[in-house]
Amino acid sequence: MRQGRQLDEIRVNKELLNGALETPAWWKWAVLFFATIVVTGFVVFGIQTNKGLGVTGLSRPVFWGAYITTFVFWVGISHAGIMISAILRLTQAEWRRPVTRAAELLTVFSLLTALSFPVIHAGRPWRIIYWIFPYDFARGLWPNIRSPLIWDPAAIGTYLTGSTLFLYVALLPDLGVLRDRTTGWRHAMYGALSLGWRGNPRQWRLQTVAGVLLSALMLPIFVSVHSIVSWDFAVTPGVEGWNSTIFAPYFVIGAVHSGVSAVVTMMALMRWLWKWDNFIRPEHFDALARLLIVVATAWFGFTVVEILFSLYTLEGPELAFRDMQIFQWPWSGMFVTFLLCAFFIPVTMWLFKSVRSSIVLMFWTSILVNIGMWLERFLIIVPSLARKQPFVYTWGSYQPSIVEFTMMAWSFAFVAMNMLLFARFFPLIPLFESKESMVFTTEMKIGRTTIPAVLREQE
Amino acid sequence: MASRITAAAHDDRPTFQEAAADLVNAPSTAASSTTTRWFLILGAFVVLGVVGFVLKIADHGMDDRRAWGYYVAMVSFLLTTAGGAPMLSIAPVLAKANWVRPVMRVSQLFSSIGVLTAIMSIPLIFLLPPLVEDEVRRRSIWFGSPAYFPHIWDTIAIFGLVFLGLALLWASSMPDLAAIRESGSGRRQQWARRLAPGFIGTSGQWKALRIRIGVLSAFYFLFLIFTHVLFASDYIHALVPGYKDAIFPMYHALTSLQAGTASVILASYFLWRYGGFNRYIGINQIWNLAKLQFALSLLWFYFFFSAFIVFWYSRTPQNEKVIELFDQGPHLWAFLGALFFCFIIPMWTLMWNFIRVSMRGPAIIAGVIIFGTLLDRIRLGVGAWATEGINDKFLQVVPETVWPDLWDIFMFLGMFAGAAFLFLLVTRLIPAVSLWEIQQSRLISKPAMYMRSEVEIVGKPD
Amino acid sequence: MAKTSILGLYEDPEDGAKAMDALHAANMDPNDFDVLTGTPYPEGAFGEHVPQHRLFRFPVFGAMVGFTLAIVFTAATQLAWPIVTGGKPILAVPAMLIITYELTMLSAVVMTVIGILFESRLPNFNPGAYDTRITEGLIGVVVSVEEGRESEIEAILNNAGAMETKRA
Repeated sequence: MRQGRQLDEIRVNKELLNGALETPAWWKWAVLFFATIVVTGFVVFGIQTNKGLGVTGLSRPVFWGAYITTFVFWVGISHAGIMISAILRLTQAEWRRPVTRAAELLTVFSLLTALSFPVIHAGRPWRIIYWIFPYDFARGLWPNIRSPLIWDPAAIGTYLTGSTLFLYVALLPDLGVLRDRTTGWRHAMYGALSLGWRGNPRQWRLQTVAGVLLSALMLPIFVSVHSIVSWDFAVTPGVEGWNSTIFAPYFVIGAVHSGVSAVVTMMALMRWLWKWDNFIRPEHFDALARLLIVVATAWFGFTVVEILFSLYTLEGPELAFRDMQIFQWPWSGMFVTFLLCAFFIPVTMWLFKSVRSSIVLMFWTSILVNIGMWLERFLIIVPSLARKQPFVYTWGSYQPSIVEFTMMAWSFAFVAMNMLLFARFFPLIPLFESKESMVFTTEMKIGRTTIPAVLREQE
Repeated sequence: MASRITAAAHDDRPTFQEAAADLVNAPSTAASSTTTRWFLILGAFVVLGVVGFVLKIADHGMDDRRAWGYYVAMVSFLLTTAGGAPMLSIAPVLAKANWVRPVMRVSQLFSSIGVLTAIMSIPLIFLLPPLVEDEVRRRSIWFGSPAYFPHIWDTIAIFGLVFLGLALLWASSMPDLAAIRESGSGRRQQWARRLAPGFIGTSGQWKALRIRIGVLSAFYFLFLIFTHVLFASDYIHALVPGYKDAIFPMYHALTSLQAGTASVILASYFLWRYGGFNRYIGINQIWNLAKLQFALSLLWFYFFFSAFIVFWYSRTPQNEKVIELFDQGPHLWAFLGALFFCFIIPMWTLMWNFIRVSMRGPAIIAGVIIFGTLLDRIRLGVGAWATEGINDKFLQVVPETVWPDLWDIFMFLGMFAGAAFLFLLVTRLIPAVSLWEIQQSRLISKPAMYMRSEVEIVGKPD
Repeated sequence: MAKTSILGLYEDPEDGAKAMDALHAANMDPNDFDVLTGTPYPEGAFGEHVPQHRLFRFPVFGAMVGFTLAIVFTAATQLAWPIVTGGKPILAVPAMLIITYELTMLSAVVMTVIGILFESRLPNFNPGAYDTRITEGLIGVVVSVEEGRESEIEAILNNAGAMETKRA
């Protein structure tokens, strides 16, 4: 059954624009807090650029560490938006409505953050230009498209562009509302951004068709992005634990798991901070938790098959690597934590309706998932590299330095700050979706019972 | 708001009484000389298949692995198509899709073909090489387990899947069988009495029925994946020296969903066109199934390419030989066929809405996909069973193309005939469109007017 | 002849639909009147004609352009500096496929968005009569009318229950 009250359009505008048209008291303190971390991150990045990568924990043989782990982590989080927005739109899931905007936004900001990490990781960031863009025209030298490191920016660039456009198109009707509720420079800004939106049947129809069409186009891009990130690892035959054909779908399903969990975290925060109890309701958390049970179980299945087939040949180096990854301290501790956090604790809890409907418990379990998923990426990347030199035995270990921890904190602060800044100007819950839901949901009486129902347009 | 919704001017859906009359005495279930003739023809082909099987043993015995590749491909094909079809009655339900109701029974009816899969899998137990030979243990997912493990577990998996499929079919047919028990006639009524004793539709029985279907569906899905993982790794993957492909079992399972969907589309089309069910199965079902089919066809290529790019990039001898075996060398023709029929043709056709919104378009593409799946299973099954040197580090010699002999063709004909025979046989007892699903669909959805617009109201009970 | 834009505002959507009915009955050209809402309603709810569009052509065109450019880019750049890396062929089709796929999709998405704006007739900064209360739930029926017929149209809108009419 629907929980919460049916509101009229004036109330919807008032409640959902409380962040964009008014400034909550906590907002500037929160922005200031995150901005401080962001600025600190930039300073630390400056120090690293000046001193070189020696200030990190990266050393032979582990040259991909926390930065690349965090890169993969944020690419994973970015899968939230399209998963929620596109798949649920295509399946006409009614409960998606309050979730889509925040999820799409998370996609955009987490992708921007993810894209920063190869730059940070490069040590000499200006050289990244050589890596991606054509250079040295005089000698006709071009990027090597056979390298997965070129595939990455192509995929992420496409995803970022597509997601931003997707977000903007779905924002148009709400920009019209903002234009109508503001004066001065804000009115001019929203007027320009809304492009003269009026809300006639043609525009609404195109909005609906655009939602479906862009969803259908974005879905294959979404699948390709994390697949291509996974091939950074999987196409390398010399590193145990990396050269696996299952990596592409395994990474994608893992990304969906962590992305949807991040949406749960964000929804709980949105409900608490902006008091959107009428829009983000326990039923939405329940639906997301049900989805997460399916996703997490599929992801766990892929994890099992991945490990099973890595042991399949029973070759010495592979066995030794898995032994280290799973049974030797400190990796063993991380491995157990990863499994408990990413699967066993949350999924077991989500089996209970009381947990699924508890926003506090959903918030904490979703955070657990992302701790687990960060560790998963770390356990894929670092232990494999720690013993990748089978003949020269220059094996070693790796521990992130304070610089890397700061940059990781920077990434979270950067996303949070951007979300808060966005929320100051635009609604985090789509107004038109909430209003549409008021038109398209109804109730149906069957005998003595009443069930929620939706209107479907005749095709 | 409610006042803006008014009753529709007309509702051309069959009434409860009409549906009961149509489906309890459905045309497809009525005995006639035509159906008898069909059964005789199909039966003759089944006999031909058995003859082919016997003569195959007589010619090659059970030790010549190379000779049995096509037989493995047949079992794999059956497991893929008929095994995957019942998923259509499970997956869309999770999304509370109302459109699937008229074709849920069609998808479950494919469980009956599982009987043929199970029977045909029995010889495989004897054909599969032992885990340990001359004290050398070959690579497998069974590592140090007892030597009989793949044989016994694969058999348990296949038979378990078939059992679950039949149980699901039986459980979900219970209310319809009860209706036949009450208003049917003749032998069908006798069978219905035996299969649906005591079901009178109390609220407790309906509740129990829903739980039973839910539990069986969940187990069916898990068992389907389990069976594909075991079958793909034991009967194909483990036989190719140096082949290490973690995605392969998942590819096998995914293609099962694709081919299962194709099977349901094709069967639904025939039931609509020739079975007299055109008031129940229509464009809405085919359109939605076609969208699903399109997505699954894209996934076919995604899963294939995920493995291919890793093999191609590595340039190791193991991987190059695997590409040669399955994609380039002796079975290039089958690979190209699978690529075109399972991916390129479905993608280029089903991406257009005007094709999806037609009865014939998706049905033709479904036929194409089923043929492509058959070629895909030939490429994998025949390729894997033609290799030698099971304990080698990698495939030393890529085998020559193996073409089917006459006995293989007999068995193919027998397999198709057997599958059709079983499907038709079970539709003589169980209506091919579920009466109770139709009735429930009618209860929770209705055409209406929203101001000047025609809409459908769909109840979404939790 | 210059046209005036007249807007009728309705509190009850049913009244808006009645206004649309009345305009149809008055033999107005369907292209000359429209309904404005702050929320999407089921298509045809106000008796408006269902707008046709050709949005689907845009991604197809975009994909074709993207595909062609990607093939040219990946092939030409590799041929321009034919250095063998990792033992791969200079024109390595699987690798080219990945870049080609991304650029094809990128171009398709960009063209789709252009198509959405084009088909939505946006941007349009001179929209005629409008009222900001439409995004608060009022229904607007806007009519583009030749000079001299303003009063007649206002009467039609008012008879259908307009709470207010305005001209622009």
